[in-house]
Amino acid sequence: MKLFPSTSNFKLLTSNFVFFAGKGGVGKTTTASVFAWIRARAGERVLLVSTDPAHSLGDALGLELAASPRRTRRSLEAVELDAPRAFARWLTEYRRPLGEILEHGTWLDREDVDALLELSMPGVDELMGIIEIDRLAGRSLHDVVVVDTAPTGHMLRLLSAPETVGVVADVLGALQHEHRVIREQLARVGRPEAADRLIATLAGQAREIATRLRDPRRTGFVWVTLPEALSLNETVDGIAALARAGIAVREIVVNRVLPRGARCRVCDRRRMDERIAIAEITRRFAHGRTVRLVPAAVREPRGLRALASLGLSRAQGAERRARSAQKRSAAAVYSSALSSQPSSLHDEPFAGASLLFFGGKGGVGKTTVAAAVAARLARADSSRRVLLLSTDPAHSLGDVFGAEVGDTPRTIRGAPANLLVRELDAAAAFADRRAQFEGAIKEIAAAVGVEGASDTLGASGLMDLAPPGIDELFGILSVVDARAAYDVMVIDTAPTGHALRLLETPAAAREWTQVLLRMLLKYRTLVRPGQLATELVAVSKSIRGLIELLRDASATRFIVVTRAAELPRLETARLLIRLRRLQLSVPAIVVNARTLGPGRCPRCRVVAATERRELELLRRASGRRCAIIQTPLSAPPPRGAKALEGWSKTWV
Amino acid sequence: MFILDSLLIGSLRFVLDKVVAAAEAEMQDDSALRDQLLEAQMRLELGEISDEEFAEIERDVLAAIREIKGRRQGPISMSPDDKITGVEIESFEESEK
Repeated sequence: MKLFPSTSNFKLLTSNFVFFAGKGGVGKTTTASVFAWIRARAGERVLLVSTDPAHSLGDALGLELAASPRRTRRSLEAVELDAPRAFARWLTEYRRPLGEILEHGTWLDREDVDALLELSMPGVDELMGIIEIDRLAGRSLHDVVVVDTAPTGHMLRLLSAPETVGVVADVLGALQHEHRVIREQLARVGRPEAADRLIATLAGQAREIATRLRDPRRTGFVWVTLPEALSLNETVDGIAALARAGIAVREIVVNRVLPRGARCRVCDRRRMDERIAIAEITRRFAHGRTVRLVPAAVREPRGLRALASLGLSRAQGAERRARSAQKRSAAAVYSSALSSQPSSLHDEPFAGASLLFFGGKGGVGKTTVAAAVAARLARADSSRRVLLLSTDPAHSLGDVFGAEVGDTPRTIRGAPANLLVRELDAAAAFADRRAQFEGAIKEIAAAVGVEGASDTLGASGLMDLAPPGIDELFGILSVVDARAAYDVMVIDTAPTGHALRLLETPAAAREWTQVLLRMLLKYRTLVRPGQLATELVAVSKSIRGLIELLRDASATRFIVVTRAAELPRLETARLLIRLRRLQLSVPAIVVNARTLGPGRCPRCRVVAATERRELELLRRASGRRCAIIQTPLSAPPPRGAKALEGWSKTWV
Repeated sequence: MFILDSLLIGSLRFVLDKVVAAAEAEMQDDSALRDQLLEAQMRLELGEISDEEFAEIERDVLAAIREIKGRRQGPISMSPDDKITGVEIESFEESEK
């Protein structure tokens, strides 16, 4: 089988920007790399960009990549964006005009402005991601820019970043306005300054990128999914969210479809479930779109050569084949005899903790594992109130429990009554606190001497957006708010990159409150500190409490969820280093969906052997103090409270 | 009845106005002290003063606020956060209906 068999049926070939989006772990990076390689082989100059703060592009290509484009083979260049560094570079370039705008437009002095510009910016990955893509593409060194995005939730935030950049330009423009008027009237200088040029650049970039993203001739979107229920649900939500943003997805890649093979109880069962999922995808999305199936490789493809040998074929006849698989049998858990060990063994890493984070690479099963542990902890002691909170903007808790879950904590049928489940809706939380934020912005504006600019911000529509960084900020605020009401909080985080951003948020939020408090104090003779100061003191106190809690290994633990495969293992190793740096305790790694009772077909044997080898490498990387918990592969994955609790008893 | 009512309400209003004025005066009196306390809280959060220094300031400020309240010696003790927003009066006949 060959990749993209004929170029004529690949609609995206005419786009200059091609985004690969989808749930974590579906193979966005691999698919984007394959696509980029094909275009490079056809003679085009291709730039492959990864915007996920937890990059796996280098892992997939089998190359060491950096924050500036590196040539791989032929005309294919690849780059892993480093947003905080890109922001620092951007600041260096624009520090002078930016400082001038702030100094001219407010009564802040150089010292204040420097303190403000030192702060870490929320949503930096999305804001700088979009500006960096524009900068790299603007050099006209490439015919095509292929973007490998972060998993769904943050991909959607990336796409709303241009609007936020536009708001920034508007606010800077309002600050600069008075200075410009004075300059024109008194000094009779009509010549634009560097500051004016910066504002014009930002406004232009925001407009141009927003238009380009919605122009189907210039920008193509490929949605990557797996033939399974959770990915399918996220595909439905994701494509709808893109459509609401005015972006059309025209290509869908169904990745890792099991090819035909020898009879095997494990693989045959999976093939049947996959056919049902593929039929559903075809039924819902095939109209007006191309659906491609990519067969699963026995080994994870790594390196350009392996990637190039991957085959893609069109989804012709998939629906017909799928219809024959009507009946579904009960879920089967493929575990070995090892599961006879007492399962209470695995409660130790969780026992006594009041804050448990579950994190890891996209698609490894964080939500399923977190849900099972939360249900188990609630069952173990009915006097404890347990909150299971998802902070990933692309939630799957509802799908895992087979129930409608929202921003208000609720109980789940079949689960212990002391377990409450919530999917944080950061945009709604932002809207709820709208008045509070607007009040705060007014007070800040008054404190720095620019009442007018707060009106610009109010009219700019920022409050109607879900700006980048919002999920991490409200994730942390919800944890702070919920602390008093629950004995145990289990947090199901977004995939690695943004889970780390979430954990960095308390420190960043503390810096922000400190800088603002210092300014309010400094100018207190001009403007009396009021409601804002009182609120900042309260926020600062609770963030300080949270930072202490996060560092307390007896109270807070981070459980890394992964799979026994190469790419997840490489990402896990990097995650462990970052968590250690953040001084977080990691008492256990959950290796999810292990093929503990493999079938007898050649594929199952290879998979089992690969898993054993990867598990051994993982053990070596994780250190002795970290327990390894293995959960057996369940086909289909456990859904509903009862199934989750039952499944958690089979962990070894 | 109407005259009685309006007289009653009139005199009540007079008394309440006095109460509000007194409360406002009190608020103005200790507002500087409250600012001082807030400022100390801000400095504490910024690490500019220690817990002990803050405790000392807090003790002094609270003592000063108590003193102001004590000087008034009024039977009505109001916090500046309390506001009089309205008065409900029900006459005997009305409640019998």
